[in-house]
Amino acid sequence: MATTEIRFSGSGGQGLLLSARILAAALALQGRNVAQSNAYEPVSRGGLSRSDLVISEGEADFPLARRLDYLLILDLAGLGVSDHLLSPRSVVLADAELVPDPPRGDFRTLALPFAETARSLGNPRVTNIVALGTLCALSELCPPELLLERVLAMTPAKFDRLNRDAFAAGQAMAVHEPA
Amino acid sequence: MKDTTEATAFDVNSWIRQEQMPHFLCPGCGHGIALRALVWALHEQGIDKDKLAVVSGIGCSGRLSAYIDANTFHTTHGRPLTFATGLKLARPDLSVVVITGDGDCLAIGGNHLIHAARRNLDITCLMLNNEIYGMTGGQVSPTTAEGRYTSTTPQGNTEPGFDACALAAAAGAGFVGREVTMQVLGLRDLIGQAIAHKGFSFVEVLSDCTEIYGRKNDLGASPEMMLAKKSEMRPFAYRNTVDVPFRPNHLRTGVIARSERPEYGAAYRAMAAGLRGEGGDA
Amino acid sequence: MSATIRNLEGNEACALGAIRAGCRFFAGYPITPSSEVAEVMSRELPKVGGTFIQMEDEIASMGAVIGASMGGVKAMTATSGPGFSLKQENLGYACGAEIPCVIVNVMRGGPSTGMPTRPAQGDIMQARWGTHGDHAIIVLAPASVAEAYSETIRAVELSETLRVPVVVLLDEVIGHLTETVDLSAVPETPEVWRKFATGPRAGFQPYAVTEDLIPPMPRPGDGYRAHCTGLTHAPGGFPTQVPEVATAAVTRTTDKLALHRERIESWRVQDADDADLLIVAIGISARAARQAVRDLRTEGLRVGLFRPVTLWPFPEEALRDIVARSGAKAVLVPEMNQGQLVLEIERVLAGKAPALRLNRIDGQPITPDEIADRAREALK
Repeated sequence: MATTEIRFSGSGGQGLLLSARILAAALALQGRNVAQSNAYEPVSRGGLSRSDLVISEGEADFPLARRLDYLLILDLAGLGVSDHLLSPRSVVLADAELVPDPPRGDFRTLALPFAETARSLGNPRVTNIVALGTLCALSELCPPELLLERVLAMTPAKFDRLNRDAFAAGQAMAVHEPA
Repeated sequence: MKDTTEATAFDVNSWIRQEQMPHFLCPGCGHGIALRALVWALHEQGIDKDKLAVVSGIGCSGRLSAYIDANTFHTTHGRPLTFATGLKLARPDLSVVVITGDGDCLAIGGNHLIHAARRNLDITCLMLNNEIYGMTGGQVSPTTAEGRYTSTTPQGNTEPGFDACALAAAAGAGFVGREVTMQVLGLRDLIGQAIAHKGFSFVEVLSDCTEIYGRKNDLGASPEMMLAKKSEMRPFAYRNTVDVPFRPNHLRTGVIARSERPEYGAAYRAMAAGLRGEGGDA
Repeated sequence: MSATIRNLEGNEACALGAIRAGCRFFAGYPITPSSEVAEVMSRELPKVGGTFIQMEDEIASMGAVIGASMGGVKAMTATSGPGFSLKQENLGYACGAEIPCVIVNVMRGGPSTGMPTRPAQGDIMQARWGTHGDHAIIVLAPASVAEAYSETIRAVELSETLRVPVVVLLDEVIGHLTETVDLSAVPETPEVWRKFATGPRAGFQPYAVTEDLIPPMPRPGDGYRAHCTGLTHAPGGFPTQVPEVATAAVTRTTDKLALHRERIESWRVQDADDADLLIVAIGISARAARQAVRDLRTEGLRVGLFRPVTLWPFPEEALRDIVARSGAKAVLVPEMNQGQLVLEIERVLAGKAPALRLNRIDGQPITPDEIADRAREALK
């Protein structure tokens, strides 16, 4: 069965599981089937944290990631653990500052300033939303307005403006990258 | 509460499943007296047999539920309070009485006693304390007195015994009392108060295992054992006024503790009714 | 998108399925990786007039569940390996006294504390034989979140109608997996209840031998004043040691499941009719096998899948039929243990086809590629 597979990886506390959940919710609204599986270490902050989405039409045969289409790495903790899932069909999105030496090979690797952008917007905690904006624009998996609507619905209202700005900044970042 | 104008005379046989007689208790065992006091108290409290659930554990005490003409549940060793907790929460309209023993309630089921007392769910727990594991052949129990001989303390017990009432009271039981089998009327009235109390009530009955404990420790027959126990006991109400001030608490009888803490089932239902935007039945 | 389509976690789906089937009592104790079932129940049950309680330990939560069910309320608990071990004595009581109840067991690495956050399928035999003595029990093994929902509903219904404990056996992957589920895929049907005792109070026998071997259950308050015990009991409910009565008492509970086997058994097949190699798997291993079968078919290899949804009693006739019909030369059993399901397959096939093993006990799911490699090797 044809699947699109996305991994969000980094360290605990970066909001990776939430980002994956938001994207999964938007995709379900689009009528797609999404399987989400998470792995994290038994600490609430720090340590490897990852969340995988396997997107399919109808229920996936195997709901766990096998060959990634997109790999997001937001922290050194997420480095090295996913290399066996990369292939020529993969696109790696790594934070330029937090992941200085991202995986490179017969696939595309983009080092982008997610964290720096979030900081410039006033809060490093929206790094995940910046990255989600970029991922949405690059992958064209779902309409950005639909995804943003889910972002706003699934995060506290007091962050609405910040999240809008972060999402837009992420989208803009993708525009500068050749498709 | 008892309505004296409607009260009928107590007939023990009307509460006992006649087809289960003769009972299996040894001659001289105090458990029969406790059983009689319990059903007498149930009668006096006007409890409807159809709405009465008696839940027991394993051991000599555990067998008593089968003799009572009610909805009876003979459960697993040490766990009657857990079954009773589920039953009472699911069916708050039932009166739930637990019959347990010193081994059942304080050893294998000790944790459940602590938490049942803490929650203060409206259950009456009758612990028949005969200081020994009778059914398995007379092994030491958590209430066996120091120095006593049992199948597993052939040199005399070197462990201290438990004060079950102090434990239940400390854990928060709404009502705690103790009585000896020789004081049948006092035991009946104490159990009656326990049944009437809205919350977790714990009654320790100092029962007598004459066949095993009595023989192993040369304590005489049932009358001698009962008299000896009675002579050692002091009503809790007089604890500060008369004699033997140094007697430990576990020789006290009567009402030992009571409090009007909120009853757990009502508290939970009030919370749930609030969630549903209802007034609640608490 | 319809309002019934939701991204649900497997554990959450169990809780919601149980509530939909009318479960109104849950007692539990925190344990990884099943705690989410209790968390959802604690949130949802009071809203629908039900009761949630976190008991002092695993044993107590099993006791409370049985107590609630004795009171006539549908009841469930959830746990994982160490807790499942602790629950076994009371689970045996429910088997012996025929008290309906549902136990969700989310399997993690074992033995003992094992690997609490990692998946395993090591409780396959324990789910069947965990409590002592001969006893009847049903075990359902969902392989998706949608099935965690629908099979928990079925667990409540089977447990109620047959008066038997039902275990919903998930592995950690399915328990913690989120999938898009259409809740309306389970058709709306009238709520299913146990058969409550009706008729004359005098001479009522709580364990009477009826034609369907399912004795009507007395509900406290209805006037039957029956006795219930874990001791071997005669039809009247009281203990017995009369040899023939004791034999009949235990035999009826096991015969009961045999009699209603058709209603209990459930399985799925994929590309099995012409399979040279038939894979038999449950849970996440079955999902891997599903992908492997698809991949191998594109290579022209005739591989199929037999997936028992009802794990116990094992749908043995169905497996024998498929093996006979397809003429499969071998059966491959991938499972996340040292080989448990394969023992039952060997018993069922009795040498008609060799059962090959593929096992992992490292806390990692078996992958489609591993199964495909093993299948190619077997078909060489």
